[in-house]
Amino acid sequence: MFINIQDLLKKSNIRKNGFDYISVTKLITNDNMGKDNRFTPEDITALQNQPFIDDAAPLIPNRFQVVASAGEMIPFASDIFIEALDNKFIDTVPPGFTWNEGQATVPIIFSSEFLEMYNVFAPSYGLPQLSAATASNVNISLRCEGSLGERVFTAQIVAFSDRVNSLLAPKSFVDWANETLAGEKNVKASRVFLKTKDANNADLLQFLENKAYRINKDKTAFGRSRQILQGIITGLAVFGMLVIILALMLFSFYLQLVIAKSKQSLELLLTIGYSPSWLSKKIAKQFIPVYFIVVIIALLLTQLMQWGFHHFIMYDRPELNTVLHWGVVSTAIILIILSIITNYKMIKKLLFKLF
Amino acid sequence: MLLQIEKLIPAYFEPAQIIGSEIWGKRIDVLPGELIKIVAPSGSGKTSLIHFIYGLRNDYNGKIILKEQDLQLFKPEDFATIRSKILSIVFQDLRLFPALTVFDNLEIKRQLNPFHPKEKIIEFAHRLGIESKLQSRAGTCSYGEQQRIAIIRSLLQPFEMIMLDEPFSHLDNVNAKKAMELILEECKSRNACILLADLERVDFFPYTKLLNL
Repeated sequence: MFINIQDLLKKSNIRKNGFDYISVTKLITNDNMGKDNRFTPEDITALQNQPFIDDAAPLIPNRFQVVASAGEMIPFASDIFIEALDNKFIDTVPPGFTWNEGQATVPIIFSSEFLEMYNVFAPSYGLPQLSAATASNVNISLRCEGSLGERVFTAQIVAFSDRVNSLLAPKSFVDWANETLAGEKNVKASRVFLKTKDANNADLLQFLENKAYRINKDKTAFGRSRQILQGIITGLAVFGMLVIILALMLFSFYLQLVIAKSKQSLELLLTIGYSPSWLSKKIAKQFIPVYFIVVIIALLLTQLMQWGFHHFIMYDRPELNTVLHWGVVSTAIILIILSIITNYKMIKKLLFKLF
Repeated sequence: MLLQIEKLIPAYFEPAQIIGSEIWGKRIDVLPGELIKIVAPSGSGKTSLIHFIYGLRNDYNGKIILKEQDLQLFKPEDFATIRSKILSIVFQDLRLFPALTVFDNLEIKRQLNPFHPKEKIIEFAHRLGIESKLQSRAGTCSYGEQQRIAIIRSLLQPFEMIMLDEPFSHLDNVNAKKAMELILEECKSRNACILLADLERVDFFPYTKLLNL
């Protein structure tokens, strides 16, 4: 059960290559409203240097106005924003996701969530709902207007991203447009994307809290309850170990009692010439079936409980196992071997003491 | 040389206690096949001597060399070996398993290192007149019967020396003679030495050496 719950906790995160990707912003409060709350390169370097953060990259925003319209088919126009992110942070990068100066078409990676949101409100505005495939075929007109000029591009959705909630354009395009249309170089990011092994790492959460950075609440809320659950489960595991140690001690006391009870007979056997080593082996062998029976019954009960847990509480979730983990079975085997060896040694010691 | 005793004195003895003894503090050599009689009044350390040689206690000064090996250097396993191959014993306090039957008491010894087949148990029991007791629990037998069981038990293993500690104390003369005959026969077939310790002279023991303890 311990192993199953560990599995469950691990699998509840969307992971790619075993990493979590989260975006952080600076927390906007009444005190820092109106100030520059964007990330400086130093901030990003500081993030990159943390042991629990594997990588960090800024999401560079547009510094000019963008209005998107979809032409005649979908009579809809909206001010939008676009951002640029390092390609290695994007889960779906198609080969065509590049832009060179002079290119009229800008490839866009669209957030799957935004498409869902669009499909929710589209009927209310008399707009058609769009599938991902159809959305990719819509030619979007992108009017970019900054203090230094205005350009119109054609945008095409080349991919959808589950990970990044944004409209991503190639970095070369955003940099070029920021410089050409708005006259801004090295634009500071208001969002930073983090790559980490565990988004619920306590150190990471503490660090972000100290820095007053805000991250996706869903993930951390889960992280908190996971930490508590993990604590309880670990406590249970420790308790289980204590019970095992106690049981082993109890069994060894029982063995000592058995030997003490038959002390006179054993002494006499030794006196008439029986070898103490031979005798201890003989006595130890008597108990081997007992260990096996106890451990096999315990394994069967554990298996039954595991089945009940999986079937009735977890409703046969496919990512969990009904069959016991091999670790449990090998622990049982190790326990049998351990008790055979330690008890044999103890019997031998007691018998040699009788001699 | 089977057994050699050198300047042996129990650690708990007063110096006055060994005066006049032909064993304590002296050198004794025992050869294979010798029949030794030790006459010892109570308190002279007869049982101690036998327990020293058998390895049940080791609080003594001096040396006991059995088959060229010093007993003080023996480990429990070594004692187990000599008790099943070289030394046999009839304890003064008999030491039987009271809860086991007479037959099981004998068989448990025979199985340790079988020298005789199982049938010999019945034959010996018949000769000493306890055949009818074979299936009774040893604890329910009289002292005389228990003594005969202990004697038979000591003859069911191979040995080069048998030590008898007041072996006939609970037997009448007729039964004692029968037992003595059986012991002598068995020792002759093994060319084994007898070390018999008693309070007084047992006149039907044909000893070759007499020692006063």
